[in-house]
Amino acid sequence: MAKTVVLLCNCFGEIGGVLPLEEIAGKLRESGDGLSAHVLPSLCMDRDAERMGTLLRDEGADSVVAGGCPSPARRETLRRALEIAGIDPARCAHVDLREGCAWIHRNDAAGAARKAADLLAMGLASLGERGTSPDVWTEVRPECLVVGAGPAGLAAASALARRGVTTHLVERSAQAGGMMNLLSRVYPGNEDGKSRIAPGVRELEENPRIVFHPRSRVLSVKGFAGDFKVLVQTADGPLHLRAGAVIVATGAGVFLPAKMYRYGELKQVITLMELERRWTRGIGEAKRFVFIQCVGARCPERPYCSTICCPSSLKNAVRVMEEIPGGEATVLHRDIMTPGAVLEKYYRKAMETGVRFVRFREDAPPEVTGSETVEEVRVRDAAGGKVWALPADAVVLATPLVPGMDNRSLKDLLGIELDGHGFFAETYPLHPLETRMDGIFIAGSARWPVSSEQAAAQGEGAAVKALGILVQGRVSALSLGRVPGRKLGHGRVEEGSCTGCGNCVAVCPFLACSLQDTGNGRLVSRVNKMRCKACGNCVSVCPNGTMQIPEHNYRMVGAMIRKAFSE
Amino acid sequence: METASERNEGKPVKILVFACRWCGGIGAERAGWKRADLPASFRVIPVECAALVEPDAVFRALAAGIDGVAVLGCHVGGCRYDEANHAALKRMELLKVLLDTAGIGGERLCLAFGTAHEDHQFAAVMGDFHRLLQGMPPLAPWTGGGDEDSPRSVGT
Repeated sequence: MAKTVVLLCNCFGEIGGVLPLEEIAGKLRESGDGLSAHVLPSLCMDRDAERMGTLLRDEGADSVVAGGCPSPARRETLRRALEIAGIDPARCAHVDLREGCAWIHRNDAAGAARKAADLLAMGLASLGERGTSPDVWTEVRPECLVVGAGPAGLAAASALARRGVTTHLVERSAQAGGMMNLLSRVYPGNEDGKSRIAPGVRELEENPRIVFHPRSRVLSVKGFAGDFKVLVQTADGPLHLRAGAVIVATGAGVFLPAKMYRYGELKQVITLMELERRWTRGIGEAKRFVFIQCVGARCPERPYCSTICCPSSLKNAVRVMEEIPGGEATVLHRDIMTPGAVLEKYYRKAMETGVRFVRFREDAPPEVTGSETVEEVRVRDAAGGKVWALPADAVVLATPLVPGMDNRSLKDLLGIELDGHGFFAETYPLHPLETRMDGIFIAGSARWPVSSEQAAAQGEGAAVKALGILVQGRVSALSLGRVPGRKLGHGRVEEGSCTGCGNCVAVCPFLACSLQDTGNGRLVSRVNKMRCKACGNCVSVCPNGTMQIPEHNYRMVGAMIRKAFSE
Repeated sequence: METASERNEGKPVKILVFACRWCGGIGAERAGWKRADLPASFRVIPVECAALVEPDAVFRALAAGIDGVAVLGCHVGGCRYDEANHAALKRMELLKVLLDTAGIGGERLCLAFGTAHEDHQFAAVMGDFHRLLQGMPPLAPWTGGGDEDSPRSVGT
């Protein structure tokens, strides 16, 4: 006969000091057959696992209600106890008697006792109706798709290939390296852009596990973590791939400051990117350089700080001072952003080498004067109000990185999200490389403007995240999901009563629900268990209760409601 | 006041709380740590996400004679399940209108999305809701029948 054991934690008096636990246990024992109750000093100490396990086994329990605190530590001990007694963890209900009862109702002993009895009754009632979602597994394709071969993509592909994973590296242009190909010198350090990515390019050329697809773009991605089906348009025609994980490292675009500071009108007004090209091709006669920061950044249209422009300007200003005889550099800024020890060193060095800094206010931006050519840059110093007239041979505009132009189409075909600016969005600050789709990761300036060094770090990080899936032979639907621990379950459709209305399809944030033809023209909803995260939206919009999550079904909720005020 | 005196005749306030485990649930736990002093009038059913609260469940609770239902979720935009709570909030706001139209009173459904995830917020939400319901007539359980084992039925 089925037997349920109620374990009540005294918590060394924290709970028992308010609630009459023995009395509650006594009532439970009297209330029905197959029910026993025990008051224990604690449920969370190491020794408790053995003690509870033995007790449950001796009682012949097949389900448990544990009343105590809601802390996960106790649950770990409890999980071990259930293991000893051979009880399915799904047959254990947790009831919060400490934070949710004893501690907050300590001044109302009678009310607290009634509530505790109700909560335990609700726990018992939930056990009777709680179902379990059968787990499903999928074979993992031990291959990875990396989109974009810039510093982030190259780092990711190298890391994966060195660990034996076949990696498809899809690149829009003809060569790897992305924006690094355009840089004459890369901060931090003293190398040019091509040397910076040389190790990654060498890996790409020498490691047969990296399959490079230049001049290619991703056309569609279907499937789920462990087994994505990818269609790539390559220079040689369409190519079908399978991959267990996807890393998006498509980088960012550059902002063109059309008509700002007379850019496009006077040819001495250039962007930082053009300055990089000039260093490579010959810097010319210019001696007096004026850098203007935050051009099209930290403004209403682009309220973010692009993070790379301050260090880039500092790097170039120092270079002007050190490499051009008689060179002069002035940086006009709203604030200098150089977080961390390395970038701060650039700032110090710039000051030591004699770079001049003038801070201006957002509402009083500098003005470039001159008719045929740049003559002066006039700027009002934010500190004292003094107006500087700076003679200039070159005006360098520090423009921000902007979201890549393919972000929108890529977002739609991957089912992931963009942030308010148009960069790829992380799911949650604590999961910075993960997207809302399991198995799809983001790295580098595709998710936010970063330096090449940080892009590479994120690329390697994303590779490790991808490996977390790829090293598994098969992946379980219940183990997926970014929620800590196992996910609750997944949606289940009662096919007989599904009317095919499509409400669930419309609300699912994870594209897990779809309508499928049963063969006779009738549509029914199907849930992709690998994609479902058990948020329950489909359940709430289902007009006739056809969609349910067994772990939290309407019968269980009904049973709990009936017991909520039964004392 | 008539309603308050009815309440004083010995019918304690009954509140059912659906608390998402990421925000409302954490707020409830922290209220415990801070030893907030709260009326023992509410019972919590933890849910994975506010999206999992079926509108039907709110009706069933009210039909069971529970005076008020609180649904606690995360900030819109801060949901662990992407935009699931946004849909839930819209659904629950509609439900409030429906409860008003039906004469039950939309104020018997308390929504706190992102405003109950800290201890003092949780305590404030529960305290305010308790006082609000105290000033309202108690709901009698629905006796009109309905099959409790079939979904979307009126009974519990």
